[in-house]
Amino acid sequence: MKKLLLGEPFRIAAGLVLFIPGAVLHFLNIDIPALILLSLALLISGSGVFLDALRGIRRLDFLDEKFLMCIASIGAFVIGEYVEGVAVMLFFLVGEYFEHRAVGRSRNAIKTLLDICPDTATVLSDGEECVIDAEDVEVGTVILVRAGERVPLDSVVESGTAELDTSALTGEHLPRRIEPGSLIESGCVVIGGAVVCRTVHTLEQSSATRILELVESAEERKSREESFITKFSRYYTPAVIVLAILMAAVPPIFNLLPLRDSVYRALSFLVVSCPCALVISVPMAFFGGIGGAASRGILYKGGNTFSAISRIENAVFDKTGTLTRGELSVSALHPCGVDEEELLYLAASAEFGSTHPIAEAIKRAARSRSRSQDIEEIGGAGVVATVGDARVAVGTEKLLLSLDVALPDDVPAGAVYVARDGVYIGAITLFDTVKDEAREALQELRALGVKRTYILSGDNEAAVRSVSEELGIDEYRAELTPEGKFELLEHIIDSSSGATLFVGDGINDAPSLARADVGIAMGGVGSDSAIEAADAVIVSDNLSRLPDTVRGARRTLTIAKENIVFAISVKLLVLLLVSFDIGGMWLAVFADVGVAVIAILNAMRAMKLPSRKNK
Amino acid sequence: MKFKFNVTGIDCPNCAGKLARQIEGKEGIDSCQINFISERLTVESGLAAEEVAAIVEKECRAFSKDIEVTKR
Repeated sequence: MKKLLLGEPFRIAAGLVLFIPGAVLHFLNIDIPALILLSLALLISGSGVFLDALRGIRRLDFLDEKFLMCIASIGAFVIGEYVEGVAVMLFFLVGEYFEHRAVGRSRNAIKTLLDICPDTATVLSDGEECVIDAEDVEVGTVILVRAGERVPLDSVVESGTAELDTSALTGEHLPRRIEPGSLIESGCVVIGGAVVCRTVHTLEQSSATRILELVESAEERKSREESFITKFSRYYTPAVIVLAILMAAVPPIFNLLPLRDSVYRALSFLVVSCPCALVISVPMAFFGGIGGAASRGILYKGGNTFSAISRIENAVFDKTGTLTRGELSVSALHPCGVDEEELLYLAASAEFGSTHPIAEAIKRAARSRSRSQDIEEIGGAGVVATVGDARVAVGTEKLLLSLDVALPDDVPAGAVYVARDGVYIGAITLFDTVKDEAREALQELRALGVKRTYILSGDNEAAVRSVSEELGIDEYRAELTPEGKFELLEHIIDSSSGATLFVGDGINDAPSLARADVGIAMGGVGSDSAIEAADAVIVSDNLSRLPDTVRGARRTLTIAKENIVFAISVKLLVLLLVSFDIGGMWLAVFADVGVAVIAILNAMRAMKLPSRKNK
Repeated sequence: MKFKFNVTGIDCPNCAGKLARQIEGKEGIDSCQINFISERLTVESGLAAEEVAAIVEKECRAFSKDIEVTKR
C-alpha cells in the first residue's frame, strides 16, 4: 500500500510535469525537444506498466491490460501520435489509481462493518489483570469484560450481571440480559456493568471469528452472474484483439484508410479489449451484498444463493423454534367438575418443584399456587403430589390410566390431564407461542412473491393446526419425522417451477436445509451441521430478517446485472464509435478504467439494505 | 495442509486468477485460490510451511512488484 501511494502518484506527477511542456512544444512544432520530453514522460509514468508487461511476457501469459496498454502507447509513438501515446498512459494510470482507491474504500467499508473481533482479552489470574492476545487465550481462562467492551471469546458468565448488545452479530438492537450462567458470544458488547467469565472456545472457534470466516469465504462460491462474466471476458478479450488486427490490416489493403489511421483505431481497440472492468464489476456487487447482509446478521455461504433466494415461490417452515418461540404457554382449560381457577391452582401446586417446560407454562398461567408435598416426578409422564390434603396427578393420559383414573371419552387430544384423589378433573392444553413478528414477516414474504407457505412439523396435529391457522399458512403436516419432512419437501420442490425456501432452526433439519433450493438456518452460528447444510444463516431468531434477506438478495442481483449490462454495453458502444473514428484512445481508456470505477461505486450500493415499506 | 496468506496489490480479479494458476502450476502445490476482494491467498500443499511461503513470494514478485504477501 505504501509503495502504491509513494510510487504511483509520484510516477503520474512526474509524467505530467514532463508531459505538459512536451505537449506544448509539440504543438509549437519544436519537434526534437518535444520528442525527448514526451518519451521521458512515457518511460517514467509507464515504467511500472512496462515492467509488469515484461513479467507477463516472460511467463508467456501476457494478454492482460498492462500488455495491451504498452502496445497501445508504444504503438501511438510509432505512428507519430506522441502526445496521444503519453496522454493515454497517464489517463490509464489516473484511472487505475481511482480504481484502486474505490476498491480499497469498499474493502475498508466492509472490513469496518465486520470489525467485530477484539484482538486482546483481559485475563484475571490471582486477582491480577493482564491484557493478552485473544489468540493465546486457552479454553477455561477467566477473563474480565468491562462495560462498553467487546467480548473477545465465547464465554460463560461467572459473576456480575449486565446487558449484552448482540447487534454486531445478529443485527438486533434489543439488548439481552446476562447473568451468571449465560453464554456470551464473542463480538457482542457488554453494557451497563462488568462481568467476569470463563472462556468456552478459543479465538478460532469463537462466534465472531466463525462469522468472519463464513463471510470472507462466501466470495469463493461463485454466483451464476460471476461465472457468466468470467466466461464472457475469456472470449471477449481475444475477440477484440483479433478485431484490432483486422482493423489495422484490412482497410489499408483495400485503400479505404491510410495505414496510420487504421493502426490508430486498432490501438484504441486494444485498450477497450481490457477485461478488468468486466471482471471487477460483478464480484464487487456480490461482496457488497454479502457484507451488507452480514451487518444485519444474515450470513451467506456463497454468492450463488442470491439468485435462488430472489425467485422463491414456496416457503416451507419448521414450526418449533422457527415460527414459534419454542416456549410453551397454556392455551385452553377444559375443567370437569371444578372451575378453571381451581384446575390451574391444583395443577400449578402439584408442579411446584418441577422445572419442566410444561410445568413452567402452567405455573406462569396460574394466578396462585401453594407448596406441595410428597412430590413424585415420573419421568416423561408427569407429577403426582399432595396439595393440601388431596393427592393430585398431572401428566399424560398414560400416567392417569396407570393410576386407574377413568377418563371421559371426549378429553382433548395432546393435552396435560389432571386428576384429584383418583378422579379426573380436567385437561390443560398448551401450545408454543407464535413469534410476534411472524405474521408480518409472512405477509411481507407473500408481498415479495411467495405463492405458497407450508409448515412441516414433528409436533402434534392440534398444535401445528393452531399455528398454521393463526398465521394463515396454506398447508401443514404434523407429526413428521425428519425423514418425513425431507420427503414432503422433495415433493414440494418437484411439483413447483419456482424456487423453494426451507427455514429451520437447524437442529435436526440438516437434510431439508441442504435439499431445498435455499436453506436458511435461523438462530445462531452454534450448530455446525446447520451451517454446513444451509445456504444462509440468520444469526438472530427474528423472522423479519427473512423478507429483509429476499429484498437484499434482489437488490444485489439487480446491481450486479446493472453492472454487467453497463460494462458490456459501454465497451461495445466505444468499439463502434472508435471504429468510425469518434472519440479515439481517450474514450477507449474511459471504457476500461472509467467503467470499472463507476461499476465499483455502483456495487457499493449493495451494502445498503432497501428500506422496508411502511416502516 | 492449507496455508493462508494476505496478499495486497493485485489489480483485478482477472490478475488474481492468473496469479493463482501460476502458483498452482508449481511443483508440490496442490491448489491455490486467491480471493481478490478479501485479499486472501490460500494454498494447499504437502510441502513445509517455509517452502510454500518461498514459492508464493517468488511467484508474486515475478507477477508484479506491487504485490506483497504476508503469512496470516
